[in-house]
Amino acid sequence: MSIFGSLDISASALSAERLRMDVTAENLANAQSTRTADGGPYRRKEVVLQQSGGGFAGALAAARSADGPNGGVRVGGIVEDTAPDRLVYDPGHPDANQQGYVRMPNVNPVTEMVDLISASRSYEANVTAMQTAKQMFTKTLDLLR
Amino acid sequence: MALFDTTQLGLERAISGAAMRQDALAANLANANTPGYKPKDVDFHSALRSAFAAGASGEEVSRTAFAESTQTGVVRADGSAVDVDVESAKLSENALEYQTLVQVARGRIDILRSAMGVG
Repeated sequence: MSIFGSLDISASALSAERLRMDVTAENLANAQSTRTADGGPYRRKEVVLQQSGGGFAGALAAARSADGPNGGVRVGGIVEDTAPDRLVYDPGHPDANQQGYVRMPNVNPVTEMVDLISASRSYEANVTAMQTAKQMFTKTLDLLR
Repeated sequence: MALFDTTQLGLERAISGAAMRQDALAANLANANTPGYKPKDVDFHSALRSAFAAGASGEEVSRTAFAESTQTGVVRADGSAVDVDVESAKLSENALEYQTLVQVARGRIDILRSAMGVG
């Protein structure tokens, strides 16, 4: 265990939660995008979080440290939501099909807002954990005075 | 008599135990949204308590090992068992305890200093 271990752990969570916010913002921004580079409407993206410390690097770090691996978080990947596209009746739309329906992205703005709040609250919780750790280390430094 | 007695060494070991617990609790908050994650905790109190109860020497006390345990809790629908409120409460409790331990250790060092005539 290093003295700044808990700061590293909280920092990993800060970047993971920030990425969640970025992806949610992208989903919200593209809630009406009917055209993408792959063709078809935009598909909702989701961040998969994973406990870090697995695999070879994690095992090596655990073997080198006396107190085991640090348990930060890392982004396992960004996956696309497989839910079906929304069909909206809008015959005047340039992407409407023969029946007048447009395939809209499978993004639900309410879900995205809830995700945004969840990511933001988690971010705050980790900032608080970081501040607590900082206070603790400052207290330890006082021992030298 | 050794300069640092068993109490002082126990205090120092408790400080590193609290630092280790801080790591575990920070990891729990970091993984609050990780599916399948099980929260961890470090019970350094009982390890130190049994060392003191067994009448361990100062050297033995400062070698007390702390194990990280996995907590069992209610698993949420998204697969994580972390309760952010509980973890935040534990985190601030642990920080206060850490500061108390450091303060007591500091007081004892100050006593030593004045005995040496440098305080």
